[in-house]
Amino acid sequence: MLDRMSETLDYHALNAMLNLYDDEGHIRFDADRMAARQYFLQHVNQNTVFFHSLDEKLDYLVEEGYYEAEVLEAYPRAFLQQIWDAAFKKKFRFPTFLGAFKYYTSYTLKTRDGKRFLERYEDRVVMVALALARGDQDLAMSFMEEILSGRFQPATPTFLNAGKKSRGELISCFLLRLEDNMESIGRGINSALQLSKRGGGVALMLTNIREHGAPIKGIENQSSGVIPIMKLLEDSFSYANQLGARQGAGAVYLNAHHPDILRFLDTKRENADEKIRIKTLSLGVVIPDVTFELAKRNEPMYLFSPHDVEKIYGVPFSEISVTEKYDEMVEDKRIRKTKINARSFFQTLAEIQFESGYPYIMFEDTVNRMNPIDGRITMSNLCSEILQVNEASEYNEDLSYARMGTDISCNLGSLNIAKSMDGRDLGATVEAAIRALTAVSEMSAIDSVPSIRKGNDESHAIGLGQMNLHGFLAREHIHYGSPEGVEFTSVYFATVAYHAIRASCALAKERGESFKGFAASDYASGVFFDKYTERDWLPESDRVAELFDGIALPSRADWAALKADVMEHGLYNRNLQAVPPTGSISYINNSTSSIHPIVSKIEIRKEGKIGRVYYPAAFMNNDNLEYYRDAYEIGPEALIETYAAATEHVDQGLSLTLFFPAEATTRDINRAQILAWKKGIKTIYYVRLRQTALEGTEVEGCVSCTL
Amino acid sequence: MKDNAPASARAVPRAINWNRLQDEKDLEVWNRLTVNFWLPEKVPLSNDVQSWATLTEEERQLTIRVFTGLTLLDTIQNSVGAPAMMPDCLTPHEESVLTNIAFMEAVHARSYSSIFSTLCSTREVDEAFRWSDENPHLQAKARAVLETYAPEADPLKRKIASVFLESFLFYSGFYLPMYWSSRAKLTNTADLIRLIIRDEAVHGYYIGYKFQRGLELESPERRQELKDYAFGLLFELYDIEARYTEELYDGIGLTEEVKAFLHYNANKALQNLGFEALFPPEAAEVNPAILAALSPDSENHDFFSGSGSSYVIGRAVATEDDDWDF
Repeated sequence: MLDRMSETLDYHALNAMLNLYDDEGHIRFDADRMAARQYFLQHVNQNTVFFHSLDEKLDYLVEEGYYEAEVLEAYPRAFLQQIWDAAFKKKFRFPTFLGAFKYYTSYTLKTRDGKRFLERYEDRVVMVALALARGDQDLAMSFMEEILSGRFQPATPTFLNAGKKSRGELISCFLLRLEDNMESIGRGINSALQLSKRGGGVALMLTNIREHGAPIKGIENQSSGVIPIMKLLEDSFSYANQLGARQGAGAVYLNAHHPDILRFLDTKRENADEKIRIKTLSLGVVIPDVTFELAKRNEPMYLFSPHDVEKIYGVPFSEISVTEKYDEMVEDKRIRKTKINARSFFQTLAEIQFESGYPYIMFEDTVNRMNPIDGRITMSNLCSEILQVNEASEYNEDLSYARMGTDISCNLGSLNIAKSMDGRDLGATVEAAIRALTAVSEMSAIDSVPSIRKGNDESHAIGLGQMNLHGFLAREHIHYGSPEGVEFTSVYFATVAYHAIRASCALAKERGESFKGFAASDYASGVFFDKYTERDWLPESDRVAELFDGIALPSRADWAALKADVMEHGLYNRNLQAVPPTGSISYINNSTSSIHPIVSKIEIRKEGKIGRVYYPAAFMNNDNLEYYRDAYEIGPEALIETYAAATEHVDQGLSLTLFFPAEATTRDINRAQILAWKKGIKTIYYVRLRQTALEGTEVEGCVSCTL
Repeated sequence: MKDNAPASARAVPRAINWNRLQDEKDLEVWNRLTVNFWLPEKVPLSNDVQSWATLTEEERQLTIRVFTGLTLLDTIQNSVGAPAMMPDCLTPHEESVLTNIAFMEAVHARSYSSIFSTLCSTREVDEAFRWSDENPHLQAKARAVLETYAPEADPLKRKIASVFLESFLFYSGFYLPMYWSSRAKLTNTADLIRLIIRDEAVHGYYIGYKFQRGLELESPERRQELKDYAFGLLFELYDIEARYTEELYDGIGLTEEVKAFLHYNANKALQNLGFEALFPPEAAEVNPAILAALSPDSENHDFFSGSGSSYVIGRAVATEDDDWDF
């Protein structure tokens, strides 16, 4: 049957057969493999520019301005030959159609007309390794090994751009503060345009903007609040797309106690008026503990005018802990306030999440309690995994800085948990990853937004993520969210934390420099290490111990030694870990996304550039399907449990999406939010819903449609 | 005929009581349709502007024509079809469901104009509307359906025609956006069409279900008559549809594939009416890329460039004290 079909079907049709059961009710993995093969035969091989030798290729690509000459000049030709030979010897093959298709449509270097391919996967990997190693041959070789083996995967901006002559930035995302004045708003919009043009998502904090109806220069009812700023930002992002590579994307964060909060949420309503509807800008809400306490007591929650708060406290609203000052602000007559019902606020939040998936949520007090760095975290980013401190800037009338604050950038990369475990040397893998990410930070200088550059120069903040947790657990016949699954997560993340800190400490020694503010951090005081020296974070069950058999795990004594080392030598990177949602790179890397459960056995992926494509979960076959229960079947409790175990060891955040069947109610969503907050989760990313087709209207034999 | 007194033109209808259902299906479908409510403004169609520019002149013209054809069908169903079936309702709740169907058909018709105003020039759109006014096949199928909607026509025949319209006639048009989306083109437009398909699937299913309930009350002879009528009408419509398809799709060489898709959906429409399939499975073997593209659920996309077709209006339930136990 398949042979007959493969002659008549193109690779898209073969790939789509993944989503349709065969006559015996089996998933057709072979069709997808055939699709990948046909894609190479019918398309890739026929459209790849051929070179006789590596020399010819490199000379051509440099002369024609495709490759950055400086990257290659840092190495002798003999070494280049050696690293390329080593890479091709590994005989890399894409196991899925989507992996290959995504790589060749979105990442590989193409001729300027976009018609012919100039790179194979191995070429891209080697160029990334060479660019990041900056002339260090051993390091280049180790980066190549880690990336090509699939253990470490740099984030899209780095993997896409490194080594290319005309390229965007290597950094994944940016976070900007907006303050309550026109200079800051204007400069913020300009920065959003500049950053969007160079690649990377941008998040902006609106908490400090005065509310709708607030006075301007003492005249009442003048301000139009946050909505018009959101409109301006939305249009800015759709204008500045990244060389057409992808849509500019942005998010805005607002504190739950800002008076515009309900208006802010209503922009995502299904029936919102066109004038206030926000389509592509992402929303996030910052929720302090006090909001939960008020809802628990079923009391009203007060919203405070940021304009008045700033006048009275002398600092922007975002710099105040609402939980701490709540009663004081309620009593203070000088602060104008409105009140809404706290429980109905949460219900509204859930209603909007039903209709749109938004907003993201950041639990403000949890985040700040767990932050080892001196300073306040007031917002997150487009994927809700970046949690870093920032500082307000002040501007002169000509828009120059009166005082330059710091804004946040973050470069990301993720480990493939299964491949890293297979490598049996987590220490080496993590260290290579930390060094690669640090290289991105050191190589980046975003001069168009000086506060971003300053933040990066002072902090060298990076975000090491993880992916393929579900794929790994399923391959090992462990259910996602089971006690063994949670235990594994805890031990794994503790080990990664240890090696990340170790590597950053080594960098501090080599560079003779720590991040700015190290002395005031919990690392310098040693407090951070208490929880690792007071108890073990090692396997308890036999099954989990077996998984780690042969892998060195840090003992309490190791942690104590690391503590002493860090207190003496410092850390080079202010932030080390952040677990992003990993979309595209997990397809290339043949992983399940992030540490999420799979969304479906066969995932339907849609993207502007590649259309609708079907992706089988990593390591799945017709015999181990029972370990691939999807996120909707697994439910929010097991997911939150797993994330809580990981959160414990991650200094920044983790993108956590909640999944519900469409029959769920807003109350189910609220309960999951309460549970997440209670368990110490820092942020919630999307809420996703799945509606099953009404009986009698479903597409017959469709894998992703059946429960 | 309703279950209460025969309706004269001036009879005051009874206040509808949703707590006394004669048919559970009415509530089930009502709930499904209301949570599925959507408006075209939610889909960021403008993200398709670049992709639109990559289509050839011919492909663009084809796409606009296909959409004007769909607009006509939605218009018919909105202004004539659904209202025509209202007097035939067996339950008052069925009437309410039909008003919802009628309204959503208007939203669908409106959606195509949103696509036009986002992607095309006025001249192109006007030309396509003129084409649809004049195209003999399109007009023929509109007429064939409209005849059965006439006031004096048989109520069950109306339902047959209506199911054919919802579950069969739309699909020669739906094929094209699904095809583009499987080729990474006009993916946001495809999202919007998928929302329409999500609705039409429920409409066809529900009207077919009501047809089957009606049929149960009829004599064996009359049942046979209706079945013969259904197959006769399908043959007639298929004939028109085949020629319509050739005219549209010959240019880009997709006619055979679209026809297989028509067979598939003709079978589906018959199934909604409770009849056996007409086309053998080999003739209804749809390109998997299109078939798989039809399912709206659990699609994973990057949210920054699209809104997807899986969000719904949720059921709001207040939290209770126990929920806040911490």
